Amino acid sequence: MASNTPTETGRGKLTKHDVRVLGLRSIFNQSAMNYERMQADGWTLAMMPALKKIYGDDKEGLAAALDANLQFINTNNYAAPLLMGLEASLEENGEKRSTIDGLRIALFGPLAGIGDAITWFTILPIVAGITASFAKQGSILGPLVFFLVYAAMFLARMPIAMLGYNAGTKAISKIRENSGIVSHCASILGCTVIGGLIATYVQISVKTRIHVAAGHSISIQTEFFDRIFPNLLPLAYTFLLYYLLKKKNVSPVVLILATFVLAIVFSWLGVL
Amino acid sequence: MQVTLIQGLLVGLFAIIAGVDFWLEGLYLFRPMIVCTITGAILGDLTLGIIAGGLTELAFAGLTPVGGTQPPNPIMAGIMTVVLAYTTGKTPSTAIGLALPFSILMQYIILFYYSAFSVLTKKLDTYAENVETKKFARLAMLPTVIVALTYGVMAFLCVYGAQEPMKALVNSMPVWLSHGFEIAGNILPAVGFGLLLKSMLKAEYVPYLLLGFTAACFIKFGNLMPVAVIGLALAFIEFYHNKKQTDNEKKLRAMIDSASESEDDSDGI
Repeated sequence: MASNTPTETGRGKLTKHDVRVLGLRSIFNQSAMNYERMQADGWTLAMMPALKKIYGDDKEGLAAALDANLQFINTNNYAAPLLMGLEASLEENGEKRSTIDGLRIALFGPLAGIGDAITWFTILPIVAGITASFAKQGSILGPLVFFLVYAAMFLARMPIAMLGYNAGTKAISKIRENSGIVSHCASILGCTVIGGLIATYVQISVKTRIHVAAGHSISIQTEFFDRIFPNLLPLAYTFLLYYLLKKKNVSPVVLILATFVLAIVFSWLGVL
Repeated sequence: MQVTLIQGLLVGLFAIIAGVDFWLEGLYLFRPMIVCTITGAILGDLTLGIIAGGLTELAFAGLTPVGGTQPPNPIMAGIMTVVLAYTTGKTPSTAIGLALPFSILMQYIILFYYSAFSVLTKKLDTYAENVETKKFARLAMLPTVIVALTYGVMAFLCVYGAQEPMKALVNSMPVWLSHGFEIAGNILPAVGFGLLLKSMLKAEYVPYLLLGFTAACFIKFGNLMPVAVIGLALAFIEFYHNKKQTDNEKKLRAMIDSASESEDDSDGI
């Protein structure tokens, strides 16, 4: 194979194209998701062409690499291409099996944390919050912008894999050093937006009126709650749910059902 | 309104695509925003689909598959919210609640698959050992195919098969009950936001939550962009502050090190 020029270590070398393909193949990460070893089977499926090229005719080396990759892994799906690129560069340089495996195992957890903080807890609430305001008015802009953002995120898997591949071993201390501060800042952004989402999209309005004199009544909602602070009830209810989820470990499905029961009871009583 | 056989089949076909997308977390076509819009388009009421998409997306904002957990299924929720609003004529907020049982049913099917697919790992190990890469690839893709087919069948049965009984059920509901469902639909995003906060809120982030809340209460603007920009500004302030602090600590440590070194030198003399 012409493209399979051996490196100093006698292993095949990946081209830029191979690394981009690896980035796209990271989509297979969850193809065989299961409780025994989570993403490992799909992870190995994604890595396979790169490993095959690196090991060439060395069947024994390839079998050892595949076996090592089949151990438990569970990380964020946008962090996966980064880690795959990094691992590919280590395999290519002929690092020791134990070094490669040690680094993969050491990094998938922290990368899952920072990846989830950015993709699920920051980007999704922001994109959902902004596009929903268009969608609620029936504007196609809502789903369209939503789709474009995530199509771009999908394509970003290629540069992310390249980043991991080029970073090599020197990146590891950097990832460890910065993952804390980056997820800290992502949490600040996320919490600010969630505060906004609570005020905008949770709607609780009390219908009850209190009779103060004959023929005169005041609305609890507009004359009382709204005068203290707008959206007070949505904030209070969200905090109650947070408390039950976090401190009492109540399952979200139970809370969803409880919300329905409460809503129906209060509807029957005419309070909401 | 009635869902025709062709429409039922098309929704089933779309569920296969979205199901694979959710399984792999690919293009996020599985989020209610997209699912509702496409379902609406298939049923011939795009606007209904888009509006339901906005509502359902928010209700499911915090219900994420983070860390290998499995939330109530966003695809079945999205499809059934639009289908039920379309067939019964109720508002999308009411329909979200009615769609929930379908969503939870699918959640449990996927949870079952997570356990079931563990049986494949032994065989995959053998293929890896013998470097049978083609066989490995085929077997590692099998779960995705099984999941895809399940979505197609489930979506078709729920959309086409369940529409008559659901319609009868909804039409026999008293006003206070369907109003209750509508209220619950409007409160439901709180569960999602509560879940998001469960994963990220610490005492030190409460001020940011309150700032975002207050900003959204008093900035009258069509969408959440201003709040997002405020959040971004706060995040950057903290980032540079933190960076400076780490740099200073490093410098300080270097100074201490060099000071103690020179001390050692003088002691030596």
